[in-house]
Amino acid sequence: MSRKPYQPPMPASWWLKHPAYRFYMLREATVLPLLFFIGCLLYGLYALGQGEASWRQYQAWLQQPWVLALNGLALLASLFHAWTFFVLFPQVMPLRLGSHTLPAWLMVSAQWAGVLLTVIALWWLLGGLDADA
Amino acid sequence: MPTLKQNDTPSTAPRRSDEPIWWSLFSAGGVCVAMLVPAIALLVLLGIPLGLVSAEQLSYQRLHALVFHPLGLGVVLAVIVLPLFHAMHRIHHGLHDLKLAHGRLAKWLCYGSAVLLSAVALWLWLSGGNTSV
Repeated sequence: MSRKPYQPPMPASWWLKHPAYRFYMLREATVLPLLFFIGCLLYGLYALGQGEASWRQYQAWLQQPWVLALNGLALLASLFHAWTFFVLFPQVMPLRLGSHTLPAWLMVSAQWAGVLLTVIALWWLLGGLDADA
Repeated sequence: MPTLKQNDTPSTAPRRSDEPIWWSLFSAGGVCVAMLVPAIALLVLLGIPLGLVSAEQLSYQRLHALVFHPLGLGVVLAVIVLPLFHAMHRIHHGLHDLKLAHGRLAKWLCYGSAVLLSAVALWLWLSGGNTSV
């Protein structure tokens, strides 16, 4: 028998049909502002290597409204991505202490605490304490 | 389910998938994006208009010393290289999901651009550290 099996058509708009699919696509789309963010870092790395005048020019370029808007979007996208990633962790790799499993909410909160710690650490590296003193 | 005839089974051994490599880089990049991108977006790219840091805190001297410190290579890896592989992995699969492109060329273009931009980042970091303040 060489009957061709029925293949249901799959339009490119399939992901619009269900909230879960739209959520999946939104999460995939978080990398678009992320690419802009990475581009900004590459530009910054280049400017930093060129010297002080170039770095000042870069700082001024960063303050343009459209650049700020896209980087704001990248920040929100990274937080959204972080949320989906952190929720997955206790499901993919549940941690056990002796006989009982660490509750999921604790693992998710610990990861958010990690994000907060990173912000504080970077603020400290940037001389946040010196500036206030 | 009809039973498969003998000649329906492939005669050669299945090719070993390279997906674990790309998925590992995607996953490692995902952790970096979740943990480090919010801090950098918040303080370095949006810090001045948000009033979280002063222009002096993002001065050329401070940033140059931080970024081109030997440990700065790890930062370049964590906030540029791995997030690039994370982003291009999702773009690769997104192109397939949206029926825009699939197959070998799309894969080469996606991961190839991640490799190329990573090389640019490493080159910028290696060459930028020599500039005198």
